[in-house]
Amino acid sequence: MKKKIRRRGRFSQTIIYLGKLFRMFLFQNDWKVLPMSAVIAGLVCFAVGGNLYKTMEGTLMGSFAISCICVWNGFFNSIQSICRERAIVKREHRSGLHISSYVLAHMIYQATLCIAQAVITISVCDAMKVKLPNEPLVTPYPILDFGITLFLITYAADMLALLISSFAKTTTAAMTIMPFMLIVQLLFSGAFFNLPEQAMPLTNLTVTKFGLTSLCAQGDYNSLPMVSIWNSAVKLKGVDVGGEKPIQEALKAIEENGSREEILMRTAEYNQNPAYAFDPDVVVGCWMALILWSIAYIIVTIIMLENIDKDKR
Amino acid sequence: MEHFDFFLTTGFQVVFGYLLPAIGSALIFYKCGIKRRWAFVPFIREYLLGVCADKEREGRVYLGLAVAAAVMSGIADLMGQKVYAIWALLQVVCLSIRIAQLLYSVRIFTALVKVFGKSKKWVLPMVLFEGAVLIYWGLSPQYVPRKKVTDREIEAETKLLGADVQSILDGLTVNINERSVIDFFRKKVLLKDIHMCIPKGHMVLLLGGSGAGKTTYLNAVTGYEKADARITLGEDDVYFDYDKMMYDIGFVPQQDLMRGNDTVALTLSDAAMLRLPSSVSMAERKKRVAEVLEQFGLTTVKDNLVEKLSGGQRKRLSIAMEFISDPTLFILDEPDSGLDGVVARSLFEKLRSIADEGKIVVVITHTPDRVIDLFDDVIVLAKDAGRTGRLAWYGPVEKAYEFFGKNSMEEILLSINQKDEGGEGRADEFIEKYADYMRAEMG
Repeated sequence: MKKKIRRRGRFSQTIIYLGKLFRMFLFQNDWKVLPMSAVIAGLVCFAVGGNLYKTMEGTLMGSFAISCICVWNGFFNSIQSICRERAIVKREHRSGLHISSYVLAHMIYQATLCIAQAVITISVCDAMKVKLPNEPLVTPYPILDFGITLFLITYAADMLALLISSFAKTTTAAMTIMPFMLIVQLLFSGAFFNLPEQAMPLTNLTVTKFGLTSLCAQGDYNSLPMVSIWNSAVKLKGVDVGGEKPIQEALKAIEENGSREEILMRTAEYNQNPAYAFDPDVVVGCWMALILWSIAYIIVTIIMLENIDKDKR
Repeated sequence: MEHFDFFLTTGFQVVFGYLLPAIGSALIFYKCGIKRRWAFVPFIREYLLGVCADKEREGRVYLGLAVAAAVMSGIADLMGQKVYAIWALLQVVCLSIRIAQLLYSVRIFTALVKVFGKSKKWVLPMVLFEGAVLIYWGLSPQYVPRKKVTDREIEAETKLLGADVQSILDGLTVNINERSVIDFFRKKVLLKDIHMCIPKGHMVLLLGGSGAGKTTYLNAVTGYEKADARITLGEDDVYFDYDKMMYDIGFVPQQDLMRGNDTVALTLSDAAMLRLPSSVSMAERKKRVAEVLEQFGLTTVKDNLVEKLSGGQRKRLSIAMEFISDPTLFILDEPDSGLDGVVARSLFEKLRSIADEGKIVVVITHTPDRVIDLFDDVIVLAKDAGRTGRLAWYGPVEKAYEFFGKNSMEEILLSINQKDEGGEGRADEFIEKYADYMRAEMG
């Protein structure tokens, strides 16, 4: 019987692969995801940042857009990371690589990227004078709550992309699946697009739903004014009824009375959403959901890669 | 009147959608050597048509698509149009699957037409009027397949050695009874009856035509894919002690599977970290890396990125990654692919020197004759009548020439290759001759 010789365990292997991944960050242009996330954040702030956390509509749209950039960043971070070296992983698995170590190395590396992207996104929002939540909910710092949400959305999307990368045999296949997954994430966010009632349970499968809910709750969505009805009325102010313009007169009277804000708040009252309540439980619930989805994606990724030996030549 | 319409529609669907294609398929199955009753089993019929067309994989996909479409439309029917949006969504999915099914049926029919040696003009009528065309083909004596399914799946009747060889302490002993896989509910025997002892210090050529089971053999020997076998390396059972033995067996794949954007030294250093025992100190590990870099002539390029290396250097690095753990058994799958004659020769000389250190080196190469003088023994694998990989020879190179009555390895390969591959189709003859030879040797 051969004497048992100890080899590198899972921890050591994780360190080896972390080293490889960070070297690839430098040499294989993986660093490009960081400036790309800054550019995307800048574009989104420019387009929808004006009314974020100022009005209900602006908050919903802005939160949705921020969730989308997080999902986009997460997807691009890891969509090709495993499939581009699938054959190498297969060879290394044969030589004693623990798949759990390999995936853990990816998890740590991707977490670093996601944290950097969350910081970049917040910095860009700040630089472009986009209003961010100013009341804390879970931690003592509102910006930290906001950052954790951005990180968790990005990370959950990242782990989903890692999962796709683990079963896609080629980078082309992974890049074909990615847009489809992105569309599902956007369409089934559950708030921005009106879905049939029966389709609402599907929203729980998406990262965007929990991200958007958390971001709206942190911005105290239910305390914000609603302007869409006022804006519609302003558009109709020229409507002539029997030689008079009653809408214009009514708007004028409201402005003169100084009750515009009251009207906006009153309309908002009828459109409050208990799911977006300014409540730490809502935010923590969303964070837990995002963490659970990330864990689920990681487990499936490991299972998928454990079967890498079955790949045909 | 409503009842009449219902019966008419249903009757039409049964006759044209099921009965005619089933009858036509039954006739085709008969000609192709498949049991006719399967033609009347929905889904299986489509799969077996793929088998008749020698497109089994497409048949499988078609079957999967057909089942998916049936399940989807079943769900849609059960749900009804109560929630129109979901019903419509299911219909869209069904339609997508049907389009894929149509494309796969075109592939299968195109291949079927080829198997029957007929013009591709038949594909369109076959897709549109499947039942009628299949019946016509089935009844007409002019339509005969060039290849029957039974030809492709014939049971091996070639003589077996059927006895294990005695294990040797200073080498590798291989006793493979069978290596089989269950593929889509059917057992496929990939390797059978392979017995040999390879002493340490020998460099062995693994020769065999395409699909003869060379890689399957290597995977079975290294324990990577276990077979019904007993493989021992010295005193150790490779299968029983696989977790420990895997570092004592180096396998260099055909492709250079390394990360291009890492340096040579770091690639080798990481390989050393993974493969060497954890008790080896950092200083010893660095020393070993430096030694291997020197041995494989990579010291001058140690700081270069792997992607910047030449083909020969990359191949040497790939070998060095496995050699770093100083394995007893060293296996290389076409290490000379993509290398010119001079570089390939120098690489094989390096392998010869590794064998001379007391290692067992097993090499697959498709250009053996330019380096045959460096080998001690040759293993010849061949496909028997049942398309199973069998041992046609294992022994010294010179005796192999005598055994096959040939003057080069390429000629030997040609003699065992199937006729439809351009060979002489004498594999069964040599497999049986070798079984007799071995029986005589073993007494």
